[in-house]
Amino acid sequence: MALRRPLSAAGRRWAQRLCSAAWGGDTIFAVSSGQGRCGVAVIRTSGPGSRGALLSLTARRPLPPPRVLALRRIRDPDTAEPLDRGLVVWFPGPRSFTGEDCAELHVHGGPAVLSGVLRALGRLPGLRPAEPGEFTRRAFRRGKLDLTAAEGLGDLIRAETEAQRRQALRQMDGDLGRLYQRWSETLTRALAHLEAYIDFSEDDNVEEEVLSQVDAIVRALEQEIGAHLQDGRRGELLRGGVHAVIAGPPNVGKSSLLNLLCQRPAAIVSPVAGTTRDVVEVALNVGGYPLVLSDTAGLRDATDPVEREGVSRARDRLQHADLVLAVLDAAAVPTEPDGLGAALGALLPPPTPPCILVLNKADLLREEGGALRETCTRGDPLPPTTLLSCKTGEGLDHLLELLARQLARLCGDPLAGSPSLTQSRHSLHLGDCAAALARYGRERRRDLGLAAERLRLARRHLGRITGHVGAEDVLDIIFRDFCIGK
Amino acid sequence: MRGDVCTYRLAKMKEILNTPLLTVHEASVEDLLLTEPEPDHPGKCRVTGVVLGNGSTVHAGSVILTTGTFLRGMIFIGLEMHPAGRLGDQPAIGLAQTLEKLGFAVGRLKTGTPPRLAKDTIDFSGLEERAADNPPVPFSFLSEAVWIKPEDQLSCYLTHTTLKAQQIIHDNLHLNNHIRETTRGPRYCPSLESKVLRFPNRKHQVWLEPEGLESNVIYPQGMSMTLPPELQEQVIKSVPGLEKAKILQPGYGVQYDFLDPRQLTASLESRLVQRLFFAGQINGTTGYEEAAAQGVIAGINACLRVHGKPPFIVSRTEGYIGVLIDDLTTLGTSEPYRMFTSRVEFRMSLRPDNADARLTHRGFEEAGCVSQQRYEQAIKMKAALEDGIATLKSLQFSISKWSQLIPEVPISSSRRSPVSAYDILQHPEANMEVLARAVPEPLGKLAQWKELAARLKIEAAYEWCVVSQQQEIEEVRRDEALRLPEDLDYFAIDASLSAEVREKLDSNRPQTIGAVSRIPGITPAAIVNLLRFVKTNHQKTEKLKALPQTGKYLPEEMYSEKTTSQRQISAEFSKEEPEYLC
Repeated sequence: MALRRPLSAAGRRWAQRLCSAAWGGDTIFAVSSGQGRCGVAVIRTSGPGSRGALLSLTARRPLPPPRVLALRRIRDPDTAEPLDRGLVVWFPGPRSFTGEDCAELHVHGGPAVLSGVLRALGRLPGLRPAEPGEFTRRAFRRGKLDLTAAEGLGDLIRAETEAQRRQALRQMDGDLGRLYQRWSETLTRALAHLEAYIDFSEDDNVEEEVLSQVDAIVRALEQEIGAHLQDGRRGELLRGGVHAVIAGPPNVGKSSLLNLLCQRPAAIVSPVAGTTRDVVEVALNVGGYPLVLSDTAGLRDATDPVEREGVSRARDRLQHADLVLAVLDAAAVPTEPDGLGAALGALLPPPTPPCILVLNKADLLREEGGALRETCTRGDPLPPTTLLSCKTGEGLDHLLELLARQLARLCGDPLAGSPSLTQSRHSLHLGDCAAALARYGRERRRDLGLAAERLRLARRHLGRITGHVGAEDVLDIIFRDFCIGK
Repeated sequence: MRGDVCTYRLAKMKEILNTPLLTVHEASVEDLLLTEPEPDHPGKCRVTGVVLGNGSTVHAGSVILTTGTFLRGMIFIGLEMHPAGRLGDQPAIGLAQTLEKLGFAVGRLKTGTPPRLAKDTIDFSGLEERAADNPPVPFSFLSEAVWIKPEDQLSCYLTHTTLKAQQIIHDNLHLNNHIRETTRGPRYCPSLESKVLRFPNRKHQVWLEPEGLESNVIYPQGMSMTLPPELQEQVIKSVPGLEKAKILQPGYGVQYDFLDPRQLTASLESRLVQRLFFAGQINGTTGYEEAAAQGVIAGINACLRVHGKPPFIVSRTEGYIGVLIDDLTTLGTSEPYRMFTSRVEFRMSLRPDNADARLTHRGFEEAGCVSQQRYEQAIKMKAALEDGIATLKSLQFSISKWSQLIPEVPISSSRRSPVSAYDILQHPEANMEVLARAVPEPLGKLAQWKELAARLKIEAAYEWCVVSQQQEIEEVRRDEALRLPEDLDYFAIDASLSAEVREKLDSNRPQTIGAVSRIPGITPAAIVNLLRFVKTNHQKTEKLKALPQTGKYLPEEMYSEKTTSQRQISAEFSKEEPEYLC
């Protein structure tokens, strides 16, 4: 609405105000360290609130000089509770990655520290988690992104979204996923009914009762989300952690491997709610990293319908896995790398998630053992590979070492599935959603249009977890639930 | 609920016939005159005029097709069907064939109209009366009041169908071709048949609307149907109040061709044939406002195109017109497209009360379709609003002082800092009159100007919403500012895009990154990769443009000479004032 040719002083002021609003913009944040490292994670912010955010998190100590690393104690601005000691950098715009004011916090990569810092950022006014690709797009707009950098970033964004897709699919499987999905449907329906009333009450007989129904639904939803946010047990609901699947042909010792890992004192075992009859699932803590391990039916072309269902679920599980422990019979595989690679490829057709190849029944090996042992150390084209005997426990230490290394890599990718990070993101969006719902009641007594706007806003916040709902979805519900048309 | 059909038609005809330099010619259009395309625009040919039914030709700098339901129109009543665009009018067949031959993707839609009833045969006594708005609100910012005295307006009446109507429709589905036809119908219920089939065993609302002050015709809104006439009569007579009603003209269904609007740019010019514009039902829409909105935009752009000026495009963030055209040209449609407010992201900013502040200056400055008087009035109002808001914001008192000054407004706030008059105005109980009574200086002046006072109240009420949406609006505008070249071959470009994404981009032909992001199934990664490609590509073209291009503009001049004679036609559009730009 900016004036092109403001004629009066008033017009000029009007335009200036709009421009400054445009320049303001909101401030986004995200963990921006790539995959591969876990010791240190980088949290990046971009936008006019970056300076304030950095000051708030470093107990208002003076900003370091631009583009110079400085060691700071990082505290929660509300409670003053120390979160970590880390390095911070201040990049005043335009000399920054996005061209806007940016800040970076280099903190220890553990999930607790990361989620603590992210929660603290999310509570600051004007800051919100970044959408996938948002940093890149901001950089583009300011003409900051050099083309080679963008190439890499495009891949990173693809990886981000791929990880999020996997995670989203998995969550939609669990109790929490079902809960969010139900809220999403309830809220969309409430919004659709309110929209129907706004657009069609006069011509098409959408009755007043619709409004009181919507009010009741919104009130109930607000309370439910509020209670959920207060509920400390939500961590149990979320099937968090790196999801690893044990896969392999029948009778290679998959279940033995699961049992072995569970009994190992280095791994702490706990049962996970929702364990299904066909896929056995345990939560472990390996080297400090959360791991959800699933044992699946042996992969083969089954004839028995029950087994076939089991195999199909196993394949399904494989698709959503962050890590695969592929188990083959050491005595039955080719010993040279190419042949072994082909055997693995037959089991897991590409694209495969990160994988550890476990050659079980090492105790049965005779003279071919030496060649196979050598093959295990070859690396490319093979994934990290180890010989193991579930029977004697030989090779378990090496397997745990490989596992810890993979987990470290995966957890260094903050989007790969740390439950607490997901939780902090979710609770931010749910909190915003609940706040918008609470304001609905107040607006409702004043102006229906403004009340609907609160519901739209609530829907958008929830949509950041459950997926976007477009105008057509709302119209679908309107036309399904009401007889509208002339 | 509706304007007088006859009065409106006469007024519009008078307006058109009295427009200086405008020649009106009434005839059927059978074919298009085509020639070589201009090199700087996409398109395989360029239109230079039309061929009429009698074989004569009319040359034009640009052509707008607004075929309504006439393109291969087919009328359905019961089992009968015959080619017609409207009852008693011939359909356009030749033109439809021409368009198909040119390679336009053609679809089929259907619509319908209710039977018309004789007013003097209806018993209104038992029906619910709905009086017209009092006072009626004029559409135009230039009108202070509508021409008719409020008490002279006619009422509408509400009645309902009974289960008898449902029974008749059910029993006679075999006599109802239109309903059985597989041509894709909309999700909403355009006909009485669709209502009783999808929402059975209930009453359906029927509004009885007079068509005009002097007219004996009643339009029963909600009763579109395509049963054979004698059965329509039975349905009508089953409705309370219509027991003795006489049908003046039966209801009927129409099926017609529309062209996939994704073949158009946002200026409504066809990508296939240069300087050929489409507006209205031919683009898959239904409804008067939808048609009028496109007519204004196509008219403005047909004229700008002739003058070699940049197109006039309304953004989604600026008006409903922008949403309508962006939805159509980016996403296409599979049912007659209606404008619902739920389609509009920034509904709270796009209000009828501020249409002048949003669009009038653009219409004046860029399109030349706004009169000096309207422009000046809009500018004056905008400045007054701005000053009024500044005054209200600078007037600050403590909460207790305000409670004392205006006890009628319940102010509950824990704020210790002073509160401005603008904040107070947000309360539902507050208005400028109340405020001016409490603080006559400086608010008395503002309250006296009634329209200004009303608009200040609205601005205050919607402020938080507009402010909180401002960031999102800017976001959308920035994405809309990233324009994509119109002639991109998405299958050939060297960008990391999946085949599926290429397919989608090719069929939807988005014009901006903003439009890309609204296409379902396009991932953030695809958007970044596309951006990267366009940026490199753009840099190359910029370099090319920097090269000297003598002689390049000669053909352009030739066109503009040719087109001067067509100013007469385009004058029609430059006179058009954007009453509907909201």
